[in-house]
Amino acid sequence: MDPILVTNNLIDGVLMGMLYSLVALGLALIFGVMDIINFPHGDYVMIAAYISWLIAMAFWVDPSVTALLTVPLFFLFGVAIYKSVIHPILGAEPLIQIAVTVGLGYVLENIALAIWHAEPKSFPAPWFNFGLNFGGLSISVAKLIAATVSVISLYLTHWLLTKTKFGLAMRATSANRLIAPLMGIDVEKVYSVTFGLGIALTALGASLYMMWAQTNPYLGSSFSLLAWVIVAMGGLGGVVGVIYSGLIVGVLEALGNTFISPSARLAVIYLAFFLVLWFRPRGLFAKR
Amino acid sequence: MSTPMLQLRSVEAGYGEFRVLHGINLRVDKGEIVALVGPNGAGKTTTLRTILHMTTLYRGEITFEGKDITKVPTHKIVEKGITMVPEGRGLFNPLTVYENLLAGAYTKKAMEKLEDSLEFVYSLFPRLKERRSQVAGTLSGGEAQMLAIARALMSRPKFLMLDEPSLGLAPKIVLEIFDTVVKLRDLGTTILIVEQHVKNSLEIADRAYVMEMGQIVLEGEGRALLSDERLRKAYLII
Ligand SMILES: Nc1ncnc2c1ncn2[C@@H]1O[C@H](COP(=O)(O)OP(=O)(O)OP(=O)(O)O)[C@@H](O)[C@H]1O
Ligand SMILES: [Mg+2]
Repeated sequence: MDPILVTNNLIDGVLMGMLYSLVALGLALIFGVMDIINFPHGDYVMIAAYISWLIAMAFWVDPSVTALLTVPLFFLFGVAIYKSVIHPILGAEPLIQIAVTVGLGYVLENIALAIWHAEPKSFPAPWFNFGLNFGGLSISVAKLIAATVSVISLYLTHWLLTKTKFGLAMRATSANRLIAPLMGIDVEKVYSVTFGLGIALTALGASLYMMWAQTNPYLGSSFSLLAWVIVAMGGLGGVVGVIYSGLIVGVLEALGNTFISPSARLAVIYLAFFLVLWFRPRGLFAKR
Repeated sequence: MSTPMLQLRSVEAGYGEFRVLHGINLRVDKGEIVALVGPNGAGKTTTLRTILHMTTLYRGEITFEGKDITKVPTHKIVEKGITMVPEGRGLFNPLTVYENLLAGAYTKKAMEKLEDSLEFVYSLFPRLKERRSQVAGTLSGGEAQMLAIARALMSRPKFLMLDEPSLGLAPKIVLEIFDTVVKLRDLGTTILIVEQHVKNSLEIADRAYVMEMGQIVLEGEGRALLSDERLRKAYLII
């Protein structure tokens, strides 16, 4: 095996891992703070990728720039979904939550199918989709930008959670939602902002991803799976746990790609996932 | 007669379809300690939670400083100056002692007085200052109860409700908690306390209510109730 190719793929895996962490962070927030199982998390990435593509085509700008619109738009979309669909199932049986959120995912998928059909869409004139070469090594500039923005966003979210008053309200609500109101915390507000934020992060991930990739109606399910694996592996490790398990997933994907075959990538991730859950059922970063 | 700080009139409340309170009349005046006692399942916790809009209210009126609060959401009631040390403490276990206190001072008014309040609760419970970076979930029972009380005080309540603050604590700590309650009253906080330690609480209470099966069955001055034959029999106070 060519060492340069392996190194290239590993770097790619690390960069992709950061993007996956970003998407998974939204899921982790929604699950951690609201105890809502947002199964079709990746479908929000998929829809956001289309919206990003539409805006890029309309203004003829790189999809990364469209994040300026998709992120606030999806924050509002998240709040609207929370108020209309999620709020009524808060505290309902897990089965009902699964049915409703999974159903919502199918609705999003079918909307995409109806409007854009199954053919993939990508922006034809991307600005950053080229490689930087260092003696044989080639690093994708688009992915480097995506990873950098992801890391910054992960850090900002960590800062929000640990250093701000609203973050304290989010963590208090997560720890004990019945008691939080006794502090004067408006739990409804915490919930709608958390859901909006979680969905806004998927939009950021999508606009970054579209710098080099294509979207199709089924993009959602692979992002959902990745996000779920990352959150489950990250356990109770907070933002840091999400970053590490995102890295692991990105690198594993790259290794599977390199050493086995591109079609084996998800299988490798799953195998690792089962091994982790076997030995550390509460996740890699759980305290107990 | 001046307006009571808190007044419940014919309050009927419960959980969904399940009625627990059947017409509660209760009053707390400014500067008082009022005790609410009664057997398990009588509805004491439900009464406190109903005041904070955490149950279903079917009928009746609840006023705080003369204003109706039955339609006010819990977090807004807290802003008005009521709070509760909940049954079982209800700490934010993964958060540190300091973060729990910070959360207690979440309202705008309370946040402005944060430094003062911290100093006050640390002087009341020096143990908490030593343990401020410790995760709340790892505190001992006594420390946890101190934190629950301190966290409630961080919101600068005019009116503080305590639900069985001495539950599961060693006798010496129980006495400390009762001393603290008296101290808080002397510093100007009005208090409604639910207790299993009937004798202790009646001794410190200005007035008390006895509750059974969702109704008030007896009321009077704390010490007078202590010598009430019915109460002594029911609670085996000798
Ligand atoms: N969340 C709830 N949902 C339904 N019923 C409840 C709930 N909480 C309490 N109850 C019921 O309401 C009744 C009164 O309970 P409550 O907790 O108010 O009693 P209590 O006087 O505080 O008792 P204890 O001394 O044991 O704390 C009980 O029959 C109880 O089963
Ligand atoms: Mg009780």
